[in-house]
Amino acid sequence: MKKRGRGVACGWYGIARTAAMDRAAVWVELDDGGTVKIATGVTEIGEGILTGLCQIAAHEMGVRPDDIVLADNDTARVPEAAHAGATRMTYMIGNAVAIGCREAMFKFKKAMGDYWGVDPNSIHAENREVWVENSPTMKMSMAEATHHLKKDKGIVIVGSGLFTSAHTPLNPDNGEATPWQSYVFGAQIAEVEVDLDTGEVQVLGVWAAHDVGKVVNPQQVEGQIEGGIVMGVGHALMEEYTQHQGQVTTPGFAKYILPTTLDIPNIHSVLLTEPDPKTPLGVKGIGEPCITPTAPAIINAIYDAVGVRITSLPATPEKVLAGILKQKRVIKPKVEQEEFVTAE
Amino acid sequence: MSKLHSSMSDKKIGEHPLVEITATVNGRMVSRSVPNHYRLIDFVREELHLTGNKEGCGAGECGTCSMFVDGVLVKSCLMPVQKIMNATVETVDDLDRDAGRTVLQQAFHKCGSSQCGYCIPGMVMAATSLLRKMPNPDREQIKEGLGGNICRCTGYQKIIDAVELARDVINKKIPDSSLEENLLEPVMGARTPRLDAPGKVTGSVKYAADMVLPNMLHMSVLRSPHAYAKIVSIDASAALVIPGVEVVLTSADVPGIDNFGVFIEDQPIMARDYVRYTGEAVAAVAAETLDLAIAATKLIKVEYEVLDGVFDPHLAIKDGAPQLHDFAKNNITKHTKIRKGDVEEGFKQADLIVEETYQTAKIEHAYLEPEAGLAYVESDGCVTVHSPSQNITHHRHALAKILGRPINKVRMIMSTVGGGFGGKEDMIYQGMLALAAIKSRRPVRYVFTREESFIASAKRHPFSIQYKMGLKKNGKIVATKMVMISDGGAYAMSTPGVMNKSAILGPGPYQLENVWVDAIGVYTNNTPSGAMRAFGAFQSEFATEAHLDLCAEKLKMDPIQLRMMNLMRDGATTHTRQKIDRVLAVDCLNAVVDLAGWDQGAPNRHGSGKESRKDIGQSGIRQSCTLGTHLKQGEKV
Repeated sequence: MKKRGRGVACGWYGIARTAAMDRAAVWVELDDGGTVKIATGVTEIGEGILTGLCQIAAHEMGVRPDDIVLADNDTARVPEAAHAGATRMTYMIGNAVAIGCREAMFKFKKAMGDYWGVDPNSIHAENREVWVENSPTMKMSMAEATHHLKKDKGIVIVGSGLFTSAHTPLNPDNGEATPWQSYVFGAQIAEVEVDLDTGEVQVLGVWAAHDVGKVVNPQQVEGQIEGGIVMGVGHALMEEYTQHQGQVTTPGFAKYILPTTLDIPNIHSVLLTEPDPKTPLGVKGIGEPCITPTAPAIINAIYDAVGVRITSLPATPEKVLAGILKQKRVIKPKVEQEEFVTAE
Repeated sequence: MSKLHSSMSDKKIGEHPLVEITATVNGRMVSRSVPNHYRLIDFVREELHLTGNKEGCGAGECGTCSMFVDGVLVKSCLMPVQKIMNATVETVDDLDRDAGRTVLQQAFHKCGSSQCGYCIPGMVMAATSLLRKMPNPDREQIKEGLGGNICRCTGYQKIIDAVELARDVINKKIPDSSLEENLLEPVMGARTPRLDAPGKVTGSVKYAADMVLPNMLHMSVLRSPHAYAKIVSIDASAALVIPGVEVVLTSADVPGIDNFGVFIEDQPIMARDYVRYTGEAVAAVAAETLDLAIAATKLIKVEYEVLDGVFDPHLAIKDGAPQLHDFAKNNITKHTKIRKGDVEEGFKQADLIVEETYQTAKIEHAYLEPEAGLAYVESDGCVTVHSPSQNITHHRHALAKILGRPINKVRMIMSTVGGGFGGKEDMIYQGMLALAAIKSRRPVRYVFTREESFIASAKRHPFSIQYKMGLKKNGKIVATKMVMISDGGAYAMSTPGVMNKSAILGPGPYQLENVWVDAIGVYTNNTPSGAMRAFGAFQSEFATEAHLDLCAEKLKMDPIQLRMMNLMRDGATTHTRQKIDRVLAVDCLNAVVDLAGWDQGAPNRHGSGKESRKDIGQSGIRQSCTLGTHLKQGEKV
């Protein structure tokens, strides 16, 4: 026999390094062919930040994402953008790229304004073209414009960007601090099915709403949420690294169980995209905040389904079944109670 | 490469008889002599340098090494090389037969199916196999077809989406143009397909373990079998005399100040005087072949004086427990305190006080790419390390000090990262690589086995959380007290930061007047705990959200109503007394209720004899797995 239930959990998170000065720096060059070189210590760990930064740079520089060349992350060749973690990549480096590109574009528009004899503010660049507003003739490709500035004027358009997020350390006595400038919030609902005979839990659906700031690439934001939720399913139901007297008893994937395609719920996410007012781009982050509500939502759903409160992760079939049997011992008449004691 | 060796009694140490293998690989005939213990994955990657398919576990569990042998999908880490004699092998490297990416690979690109990309070659092979056998699978059949492949990044959704897209394009249900990028969207906010995806779906992107340099040495590391012991002596003489063994390293070879750590510099690059956890590096060998390095490692004699360790953080903080580090009294790595308002006064005002203890598990990051690195010294004397490090800036600082070099003579390059989740923030092997490259004046590569990654890298901190919450009858929280003790393991790594974040965020996004939080990180002789996705907040927020459900039940309240009553609003003051202008907590909760639907009521209403909830079992959920799923209607088991 199986029973279903639902649970909810909220969450919140701070963006970028905790209670410490966070920083990211970028160099920008408008390069031959109307391409753009971006040098920064960007640290792609799979979240898609390379693509996100190329979208931001393309937007700011009036080109396409595949026109951007991002320098490899190398302490001897690119400026510091600090580490990959703390849900800081889009927020810290994204803002730094925007600031650096805006500096470059300020110079570019001034130089093109001089060339065309117009106010730099009337110049626009988008989708590989630069033009003067309301002018049918003053228009050229970004490739031509770059070539012209280099060959005729000797101008190489470069910019640099620095984004700092100032945070204060914790007061050691009472914790008073400004650990972050920007916060995000979220909430998830999980629906589970619990097998009363085996204690096995299946997560059938997870719904997630997250405040992520302005979105650069919704596909990648969804990807983070889906990945975080499935990691949360693993943490909630099956993952536990165990040791006995310091010796690891789960030394590989045969003993340390991870979610596979057959364990995953259907996932539905909704993004709240109100821009962060504190930064130039309005972006925030999602890498970590998406994982915090999943496990408690599942644990609460298990309780809702069968009245078993799991207080120790993961909720393995053994723990859930023990809870179910204990409940039956309390409720059932005496004869059956003994039967269950024996069965256990 | 396998660490399992055949008997070595009648031949030179670290050498294996060769076996000649002839096979057709990616349409071309090859004939090579390779060591007889090679597996198919070794033959393809080490001998043919076809590095598209990756090794993830070496035990047939993860599927990243999946390839075709005579058209059948196999896990190449389980197949002895002799089995491919005269067979036809297909790897991901040339799946498209030079014709551009296959429809499936294009679909993976379009759908955003690759994140770190390390599992993707195996996923592409498994999905290709599925579509060859079953041209029109439904979503559940696709899931089964990919059930032998682990992905830690994506949550699988977009991988399954890609297989559905490819299926429909191949079956001409939708046009080929469905695979193309939509160029009409404004760049910001567009679903721009990942620019790094083509290299990931074809396997052409190079991770550290895929990199090769001329004259490169291979590293193997001797690790402690004891959780806590004094190192009496290390005798490497038997290893050093073997021809082809170029370097043997111990802590005695470290020239500079030998300690590293993100927050507390307490860890030597190889154990110094003491080993404090099982798996801690004790010595390293760099040799001409990996076989030789492994064999030489086994000849290093270490004399240990085994000590009584401490494995439970609750015991480690007691007087009289073994003291793991001189500077940490009672083994306390970090104690973070949050004090706001008057929590005892809050409890006095409460109508209901609810107490419970919560525990979270120690968690493995389980990125599919085991740690790996390649180091060499450049002509200007700069030592350079390629590795999937999440923090090259910090690693350069640490390494310059350890090596006693100017900081601009140390260069850290981040190779493509096959998943990190915080587990690649600690510099647990780059020091050995750099030192071996300096000593040998040759490039040196080190690739962890999955077992090494499990025992040597940091884990998510397990927490024990004593919770006490005071509430009014209407659900208003008037006092929150959390006392959290966490096992930080043998070295600090990110423990101080994790304690901070767990404490700051632990009481949740609720407007609370009276808060008391203690987060205490403790040294033990377990595997070190370090950074992992959500960095302490996963653990502490779990306790709060589970506890609120318990409170809702006791108050006979709907758990969403209880949260709505207490959630922070615009202008809220946080537990660290920071005022935040804009708070979207209520908006998120409303949005998820709109999305999922929610039938109001206290938890477990049917258990308490009330009518069951009405929002379950609706569209939007997957089918549950049941016995007889594959039986046709009416068919008997």
